[in-house]
Amino acid sequence: MNDQSGNVQLSTTDYQDADDQRGGAGSALAALLARWLPGQRWFATKGEQLAAVTIEARTRVAELDGKSVEQVLFTVPSPSGTQRYQIWVGWTGYYPERFAHVLIGETDGQFAYDALHDADVSALVLKNIAAGVSIGSLDFLPEPGTVIDSAAAGLVISAEQSNTSIVYGHSGILKVFRRLEPGLNPDAEVHRALQAAGSAHIAPALGVIEGPVAGERTTLALLTGFFANSAEGWAMATASVRDLMAEGDLRADEVGGDFASESLRLGRAVADVHADLAAAFGTAVLVGEDFGRLISAMVSGAEAVAAHVPSIEALLPDIVAAFHRADGPGRAPASIAVQRIHGDLQLGQTLRTLTGWAIIDFEGEPSKSLAYRRAMHSPLRDIAGMMRSFDYAAHHSGGPSDSQHAYRAQEWAARNRAAFCDGYAAVAGHDPRDLGSLLAAFELDKAVYEVAYEHGHRPSWEPIPLQAVVRLINTGGK
Amino acid sequence: MTDILGRTEQPSSSGSGPSQTKGAHVLLNTMPDDPGWYKRAVFYEVLVRAFADSNGDGTGDIAGLIDKLDYLAWLGVDCLWIPPFYDSPLRDGGYDIRDYRKVLPEFGTVQDFANLIQAAHERGIRIITDLVMNHTSDSHFWFQESRSNPDGPYGDYYVWADDDSGYPDARVIFVDTEPSNWTFDPVRKQYFWHRFFSHQPDLNFDCPAVGDAMIDVMRFWLDLGIDGFRLDAVPYLYVREGTNGENLPETHAFLKRCRKVVEDEYPGRILLAEANQWPADVVDYYGDPAVGGDECHMCFHFPLMPRIFMAARRESRFPISEILAQTPPIPSTSQWGIFLRNHDELTLEMVSDEDRDYMWNEYAGDPRMKANIGIRRRLAPLLDNDRNSQELFTAMLLSLPGSPCLYYGDEIGMGDNIWLGDRDGVRTPMQWSPDRNAGFSRSDPARLYLPAIMDPVYGFQTVNVEAQMNTTASLLHWTRRMIEIRKRHPAFALGEFFDLGGSNPTVLSYVRTFPGSESSPAGTVLCVNNLSRFPQPVELDLRGHTGQVPVELTGGTPFPPIGELPYLLTLPGHGFYWFDLTMADQNGEPGYSGEPDYNG
Repeated sequence: MNDQSGNVQLSTTDYQDADDQRGGAGSALAALLARWLPGQRWFATKGEQLAAVTIEARTRVAELDGKSVEQVLFTVPSPSGTQRYQIWVGWTGYYPERFAHVLIGETDGQFAYDALHDADVSALVLKNIAAGVSIGSLDFLPEPGTVIDSAAAGLVISAEQSNTSIVYGHSGILKVFRRLEPGLNPDAEVHRALQAAGSAHIAPALGVIEGPVAGERTTLALLTGFFANSAEGWAMATASVRDLMAEGDLRADEVGGDFASESLRLGRAVADVHADLAAAFGTAVLVGEDFGRLISAMVSGAEAVAAHVPSIEALLPDIVAAFHRADGPGRAPASIAVQRIHGDLQLGQTLRTLTGWAIIDFEGEPSKSLAYRRAMHSPLRDIAGMMRSFDYAAHHSGGPSDSQHAYRAQEWAARNRAAFCDGYAAVAGHDPRDLGSLLAAFELDKAVYEVAYEHGHRPSWEPIPLQAVVRLINTGGK
Repeated sequence: MTDILGRTEQPSSSGSGPSQTKGAHVLLNTMPDDPGWYKRAVFYEVLVRAFADSNGDGTGDIAGLIDKLDYLAWLGVDCLWIPPFYDSPLRDGGYDIRDYRKVLPEFGTVQDFANLIQAAHERGIRIITDLVMNHTSDSHFWFQESRSNPDGPYGDYYVWADDDSGYPDARVIFVDTEPSNWTFDPVRKQYFWHRFFSHQPDLNFDCPAVGDAMIDVMRFWLDLGIDGFRLDAVPYLYVREGTNGENLPETHAFLKRCRKVVEDEYPGRILLAEANQWPADVVDYYGDPAVGGDECHMCFHFPLMPRIFMAARRESRFPISEILAQTPPIPSTSQWGIFLRNHDELTLEMVSDEDRDYMWNEYAGDPRMKANIGIRRRLAPLLDNDRNSQELFTAMLLSLPGSPCLYYGDEIGMGDNIWLGDRDGVRTPMQWSPDRNAGFSRSDPARLYLPAIMDPVYGFQTVNVEAQMNTTASLLHWTRRMIEIRKRHPAFALGEFFDLGGSNPTVLSYVRTFPGSESSPAGTVLCVNNLSRFPQPVELDLRGHTGQVPVELTGGTPFPPIGELPYLLTLPGHGFYWFDLTMADQNGEPGYSGEPDYNG
């Protein structure tokens, strides 16, 4: 193995004990990753045969039973700037059959694999957090006063775009951030604050792994309590839609799978979480030109999308006009309350537990800067996210694309959106629909972004958000 | 023990029980010594009136039931639950007892009942029956004496008062028919207390003779060999000023006394409570966990049943998972009784859903109150006669925690007659054959106590035991096979329940783990139920069983071993799996159950 391609950039920054390291020099590891990364679903820079990998740091974490485990930080250039990644690599001197599904590659008779899928490694990580040890520059930190069941066995349950999640027994879940931005992750910060506020709708924070990234102390992983026997809101909602669509001509409130009572409770839960966030991090108000800037940002966002998405380009004047319905003369609210919010709220970030609804993943929108994600925003942004999510759930199932199907999907979405807002209003004391034009603007902003996303990733889904864009233009969300 | 039941005092003209038993063959319990039998038993609720008519009078009787015991033994039933067969004016389905020691004449005699017990025991089948301790019929000898002779021996047997102002905090249960819990008696010129109908006066358990009398009634039937009692309406035995008159400490003390009589004098017999309350409150009726339970051996788990229907209707496991998560542990000698349908209504308004908060309110009240607002349907019509749904529901009944109780006729998918009044729609004659009167009776069809079902879908020409016996693919044969599988694996009955959750909210998955005992081998079973009409995948977290080979229990097929990844299963609509999880993967070698590897 050697670097036959100019795409592979080598660096041994922060690299210690190169000769002693299993898997040899950084160049060999970089070459393995360069070939492996483009095949990974979570890897953001698509379309390249080889990734331009720069190894930034390697920390040997353990020698286990003939296996060597290291935590690796590396960067890859992308059009939107350098992207930073974390991966845990296990090395063995034999072909690791059990980990064939997560094999990274072979170099000089040494096999590298994604070590977080190794139950021995995930167990060690948990023990380290429970014990509060430091290895190299990595700090494993338990939350003060928590009890961690360090004997629980780990199982990787998802490998999403931005992190790897390991469930421990039925008590804990460790989210290892795959894509990193230097700095402390808001997920840990928000979990701590909500826990201190006694929120019933979040998992308790149990510990973190922190270390330096680009010279800044950075959250590398977050351990929280696990809601055993829970189900994702998205799965619950789409099951309800499926039930409706199988019924032929019943209305959304007449079928057994009606979801409205769940939506109502979900609305209450989100309102509770918003109230706790406001209490923990404070609130502020947007007035006058701040508000104008908010709308301008939405307009320029739509303009950027229009530059490469024809369907949005065709609608751009109407979209801009719709945004300005929220801040036109005599329409803009005198002030808007802002606070810390979830930032990326959707049904997929909600869990139906045996005792009610929980909200997870307080990282904010992964594509935005850390400063933006930690800033205060209108809670309407979260609510708009839920409104869009109900719309997606209603339309995701495909099926016949006739007007009857679309009408019934719309009816399901409207029923559940209304129930969610009812639940939210019952707890918050104000109805988000009272600020209808602003809520519609947030929804439109989100829908335009979704059109761009579907245009690039799943063109057959583009009509779902596009229909919402048209509806929001025409009705202002009413 | 002095017999204060009035055997001698009672006018002989009333044809009281003792005269019937004079020549009766009093049996000791002839079943083998098996103190934990009720924890593993499959129960079967059978109405004497509805099962088989031996004398052609159009009404089922005890002799007819005896004729059908071979069928029940073939099906795999371990214990019959027989609702009241006592002498009664039948104004409340026999729960209004006129004479505790006499059998309703149209059903037979006490001797017939003794014969039934003997015949059942010979086939390994036990029998329990209802015992109504809270109240009697107003035509009972005790009440007639009490109202006419306040100073006589029965004067204090009932709760009398000069006005109707006492116990205002005890709610009226049958709000549709009863304006008050007090009714004025023109004979005694006083008010008497009744929690249910005004023709069912409550017995006064503060009178020591009443408790003694009731325990003597128990002894009477236990001496005949009966295996236990379902205690009707137990929360209401005592009433106290300033309380709602439910679940009082005095009531629990009396149940402890009953249990002690059973333990000391009739070991192996059981008490089963009808306490239709939230599980956290029902567990009190098992008694003190420190001594393994010292009140009832079993309690029905009422909230589970409507939630099974709700879960299937909503295609969500949460209604079931929630109620089981809220069900506290029970003492070591205890077991839940679970059922899908019985002779009462399914309170389906809970399924139409405002939500579980609503359900909670529903169940906080007394369900007998709701008797008038339920849905009077059998299992098959409730499930639109869908065979897959019926199998799924029965599979859950046989695998969820608790001893299952089948309702007569549901094993063949019998229908109902919604045009019959009250709850009679689900109490029609058992359908034995396509012959006249469904093979239930030789009488003139017009003389039947209720007409047999005759519609084209559920009628006895189509749905009957004889036809299903002759078809091995029938629901009857399927039910029998499932009961047999359940019995082969004690984990279904005795295993600890663990809800697996899983990636798909429409799939209910659980493991039952039994560590083994002296009499039963250890074992673990995995049950996966698709509550949706549509095929579903589910990924299960089976880390605790890595390396084991799930063996499907109906066919014995080994499935792929459980590995590092979540275990993926796909199920057809309303499909289910039962797996044995006790077989270990042989060194991870593939094909361990196949032919030898000749190439090796």
